[in-house]
Amino acid sequence: MGVNVLDPSHNSILDKKQTLSIFPVRDDEPEYAKLRVDIKDNTSHQTNYYGNRISLVALDQTESLVINGVDEIGENANRNKQHAFYFNADNCTGCHACESACSEKNDLAPHLSFRSVGYVEGGTYPNYQRMNISMACNHCDDPVCLKGCPTRAYTKHSEYGAVIQDPDICFGCGYCTWVCPYNAPQLDTTAGQVEKCNMCVDRLEVGLKPACVSACLGNALDFGVAEELPDNREQMNTNLPGFPDPEITQPNIRFQQTCGMPGEVTRTDSMPIKYERDKAGVFKPVVDQKAGKKKYWSIPRLSSKENPLVVFTLATQASVGVFLTLFLGNTFNVTAINAIVDSVIYLPLLLASLGLVGLGLVMSTVHLGKPLRFYRGFNNLRHSPVSREGLGIVIFMACVGLHFLAMLPSTHWLIAYLPLIKPLQVPASILAGLMGGLAVPAGIIALYYMYRCYCIRARPFWNHWQAATTFFGNMFNLGALVTSLLAVPYLLYMDESFTGLLTVLGLLMAIGIAIEGIGLYFHARAMRAVENEGAASHYIQCTTFGLTYYARNGLIIFNLLLLSWLLISGLENGVGLLGWVLLVLSASLVALVGRALFYILVVPTTMPGAFFWKNKAFEQHARDIGLAELPQVGVLPDSH
Amino acid sequence: MLFGRSKKNPIKLADKGVVQWKYATCGYCSVGCSMEVGTNSDGLAVTTRGVGAADVNRGKLCIKGLTEAEILQAAGRGSEPLIRDDISESWQSTDWNTALDKTADEFKRIQEKYGRDTVAVVSTGQIMTEEFYTLGKLVRGVIGTNNYDGNTTLCMASAVSGYKRSFGSDGPPGCYGDFERTACLMAFGSNLPEQHPILYWRLKEALEKKKFPVIVVDPRVTMMAQMADIHLPITPGTDLVLLNSLAHVIIEEGLHDKQYIDGQCNGFEALSALIADYDPVSASKICGIDEQIIRKVARTYGNAGSAMCIWTMGINQSTHGSDGVCAINNLNLITGNIGKPGGTSLSITGQCNAMGTREWSSCSGLPGYRALENAEHREEVGKFWNIDPAFFPEKRGLAQTDIFPAIEAGKIKALWIVATNPITSMPDSGRIRKNLEKLEFCVVQDSYVDAESNQYANVYFPAGVWAEKTGCFTNTERRVNITRQVQKPFANSKPDLWIFNQLAKRWKQSEIMNFPARAEEVFDEMKQLSKGQGRMLDISGMSYDKIELARGLQWPMREGDPKGAERLYTDGRFQFPDGKARLLALAYKENNERPDNEYPFWLNSGRVVEHFHTRTKTGKVGNCNKFSPTPYMEMNPDAAESLGVEHMQYVRLVSKRGDAVVMVQLTQRVPANMVFIPFHFYNCVNRLSLGLLDPYSRQPAYKQCAVRIEYCDQQEAANINIARRNF
Repeated sequence: MGVNVLDPSHNSILDKKQTLSIFPVRDDEPEYAKLRVDIKDNTSHQTNYYGNRISLVALDQTESLVINGVDEIGENANRNKQHAFYFNADNCTGCHACESACSEKNDLAPHLSFRSVGYVEGGTYPNYQRMNISMACNHCDDPVCLKGCPTRAYTKHSEYGAVIQDPDICFGCGYCTWVCPYNAPQLDTTAGQVEKCNMCVDRLEVGLKPACVSACLGNALDFGVAEELPDNREQMNTNLPGFPDPEITQPNIRFQQTCGMPGEVTRTDSMPIKYERDKAGVFKPVVDQKAGKKKYWSIPRLSSKENPLVVFTLATQASVGVFLTLFLGNTFNVTAINAIVDSVIYLPLLLASLGLVGLGLVMSTVHLGKPLRFYRGFNNLRHSPVSREGLGIVIFMACVGLHFLAMLPSTHWLIAYLPLIKPLQVPASILAGLMGGLAVPAGIIALYYMYRCYCIRARPFWNHWQAATTFFGNMFNLGALVTSLLAVPYLLYMDESFTGLLTVLGLLMAIGIAIEGIGLYFHARAMRAVENEGAASHYIQCTTFGLTYYARNGLIIFNLLLLSWLLISGLENGVGLLGWVLLVLSASLVALVGRALFYILVVPTTMPGAFFWKNKAFEQHARDIGLAELPQVGVLPDSH
Repeated sequence: MLFGRSKKNPIKLADKGVVQWKYATCGYCSVGCSMEVGTNSDGLAVTTRGVGAADVNRGKLCIKGLTEAEILQAAGRGSEPLIRDDISESWQSTDWNTALDKTADEFKRIQEKYGRDTVAVVSTGQIMTEEFYTLGKLVRGVIGTNNYDGNTTLCMASAVSGYKRSFGSDGPPGCYGDFERTACLMAFGSNLPEQHPILYWRLKEALEKKKFPVIVVDPRVTMMAQMADIHLPITPGTDLVLLNSLAHVIIEEGLHDKQYIDGQCNGFEALSALIADYDPVSASKICGIDEQIIRKVARTYGNAGSAMCIWTMGINQSTHGSDGVCAINNLNLITGNIGKPGGTSLSITGQCNAMGTREWSSCSGLPGYRALENAEHREEVGKFWNIDPAFFPEKRGLAQTDIFPAIEAGKIKALWIVATNPITSMPDSGRIRKNLEKLEFCVVQDSYVDAESNQYANVYFPAGVWAEKTGCFTNTERRVNITRQVQKPFANSKPDLWIFNQLAKRWKQSEIMNFPARAEEVFDEMKQLSKGQGRMLDISGMSYDKIELARGLQWPMREGDPKGAERLYTDGRFQFPDGKARLLALAYKENNERPDNEYPFWLNSGRVVEHFHTRTKTGKVGNCNKFSPTPYMEMNPDAAESLGVEHMQYVRLVSKRGDAVVMVQLTQRVPANMVFIPFHFYNCVNRLSLGLLDPYSRQPAYKQCAVRIEYCDQQEAANINIARRNF
């Protein structure tokens, strides 16, 4: 197929060149579809708004993008420069041409969209204003998707600065969809992978603007080298009502918005967020009490697609807790723990720890779109907390496993059956100590990075140290709880006293509950005060899940009081045992409900949606009534 | 490579495998965009793109055009002719001969038994001009019923009527190029960004080159209203009052073009006398636009030098639709804004080939803007078709909106519905259903077997969609553009032209007539018929190849003309015998159903950009349908609060005619005493609408009636919603 080559100095067609490009420039290609090529290095900006260089490499250092296996280098004279979208909000009419041109070019099913148009509105009839916002990937200078992706499916190319994701590498964990503030990566749960905007690099290579920009019918969208103001435009703003804080990712999009806006604009989707203009003239998100102030239980809604992660995180924390309790308790010569470690029940306890972490790993793998690609989870240790968390957990599990094996030669009843292993006792116990000693930091590091996974600026409800207190609190809490579940029946069976053990475990639990409680207290206080989506999460927490939330908080206090009473009264006899059973049940409930709330409540800093499209409440309604079964509704039904 | 990857990931982008691009004209609306349909190695249409060199769309397409390739393979396409004796029975597949024989036999039986005109034909604005012409020949010259009309009565009849009354002929006098030449644009009930997005872009481009005032008259704050310099949120149905008052101010302040009026118009005295009553103060009490704004708009328009009006359904679909069009024409005639660059009355038409049916289908007369009432025309066409001119009735029969009530009265016994869906599109659909049940025989010809009107058919003809056929559309600016067959018709569906020709063979009369099989031969026949001294609608200079090469040609284009004419009436000569246009004195009479205590809300209906008509196409294209997959209603939040209605709740709307269930979208886009519902959805807004008829055009006033809002059980409502959404 022939392609017309643009002459950079005249912006005219130079000659024809053989190319395998899917989108060659046509003879009658309209001017608006062509990229500006008259940008001279000496006249244009050297750095962008964020202070980063616009020329990413020298032009002669750029390489072929190898699009669909074609090893050509594009003719675009600016292919070494960071490119950016330009959106003139004054002009967008919400006609969906950009979205459909994108879906058409990228052959997208209705439930996916690399670009979406939503809106905010304000004023009073007839002095009413709707501002549409068309948004795709902003090919950020600081691509948090790339950093977060554990599989290294993302590449930020020095050609155009395009951030491109490869679905063939992706294993569908969806972490990039969590960290992106603009909802650019699209998790396709049917295909089990993420896909996203590719900047139409094939079009850029032949000097054409992306499909969405070329299709725009309001003259709202434009595209070019970063910081180059399009003709007839006056502003190069980095902010717009409804647009997340650009400091999160340094997005390559600039805005114009000169039409006077009302002081408050609202969203038509169900997100309880509206935007108010502050004194500096910047629109800030505030809570929009769309669901009133009434409190509900909403118990069925606690179950979500993140259920596997509820199990994964709790099981992993419990596993680390069990091992640390036993190993460190034994190391520091806590009598009650020494007794358990020296007893027959130690190996079953180690197996429980292994089983829990194994369950956790299974759950986190099940959660993937493509579970068989689980091994790719460690590909991005350089940047991704997910990779580090995964590696930490695997090392912890391996160490505990080896520790378990190394403990076998020291096990009296086993030696009776297998005397052969007795000579291994000395080296094995050294190995056991070594492995146990390694498992401790590995477990802590794993939980630390588990916490780091939730330090996401695009998800303010999670982005708080409370995630750490709840994870480590549950480590103490659940570690003690699980240990007691095996050790106490054993002690009862052996007719030995459980008081000493339960006192130690009770103290650990008290620490865990207290840490979590303090974290929750400060978290709630912070979320009430923040000027972001965290406040909306807290609003949902206090209304839709209000009764559940307060009941959970009440139970935490109840658990602490019950535990204090048990510790003071000595944890003896039937009463102590009964109290402990009650505590175990109550603490398990708190852990489960608390973790479910943690996942359900998060409100990401996504772009405003429309009434049907990108409206979570409508999507849920469509699933509830069966409308989602029609593929043309664009809402994926619940997987059965 | 940034972030230190040592090896690049190769990039894989979607490739639809297009091996050939074939030329077509978009089959949705009347803007008439040139497109190329890409076919893959299996010959299947997989994508579309705008043609860069086409003057109309200059490479652009809207959401519907961009996704149009999908409608060829969409769900619900009819694959075989279907037949059944009674509509209570289930369909049986049959072959074409049986279906066509049955239809012809039934038509003949019923005509013999009850009279010629008891068979009615309701056609469309969707099929090719060559097909319209052939259908007209079949109905007027062979079947011989006078009750033959198109669904254009639902959308453009008022514009047609208004043009005829003012200028002596149908035919929009302006062109899209006028956007770039005008100094002031006033839009009445026309929401370009949603209804005609490509025209909106053309307007936007013109405004970016040279800013001029844009005035938008619309009771709703559409995106068009929002971008206007002056938005007039008018009381529904009162455009005529506003227009009379604008004329009042223009004449009072001497802003009219006396020379043009004297030379080119009749009726100025009567008009002056009438509009004396429409001073801005009196007018403001009726139309809700205050005196000062009326004066400001009149001055802006009158002083512009060249000014143009565009309008769509806001004018046409009202009880004063035809009068409203004439009043727009009055405004432009008294300011000398007809036939000059940037000065025009441009009705923005609806369907892709509404113009084609107006020009060539013989619905309202005879082909080529000829009239049944004119003996010369009957003679001319009779001779051309080789039939006795006495076979033609001497007066036009019933319009579509009168055909259905005539079924009620027993005057129509058989109905042939071609590419339209009256169950969803006609006002007061409860009544339409009862009408259809009374028919002895009904045949539906449509590309989609699931078009709801098929519920009432005894025979179903599966037809090809636009790009499965060859032929022409005429757009809003009189531009004839061509579609080449891109792929073969789906399954055993057939081009409409083939169906008409085959049906014609069932009558002996056709044997002495000419029914060409190829579209291009039909076009050549039309060319012959379009010639004649002083004929405006002349296409004799066109040919298929010339049309494709030019990406569309405007008529008139007489034999030997290098190109078509951009504008009509540039010489100031109109189509009345004396060559003068008529200024009409149009008194406003309040005759709408208005909100009252029992039904306190105005019901307004309209279109959304992602859907076309009754969704038989766009309802199946996910990337269109997903933006509004269920019916909804825009309602003012203040009104909602007083009723306890909440955002995203279902409500039941009740009018004097029926009820409908919709989901509420609260927005200040609409006033507190009005609700707005998109009309596209089955069993929805037209269960409520009244549709009083315009006395001249017989077009229904869809946009003015009264409703009340009732609470309904949310689960019940959801069940109703899902039950009515098969697509």
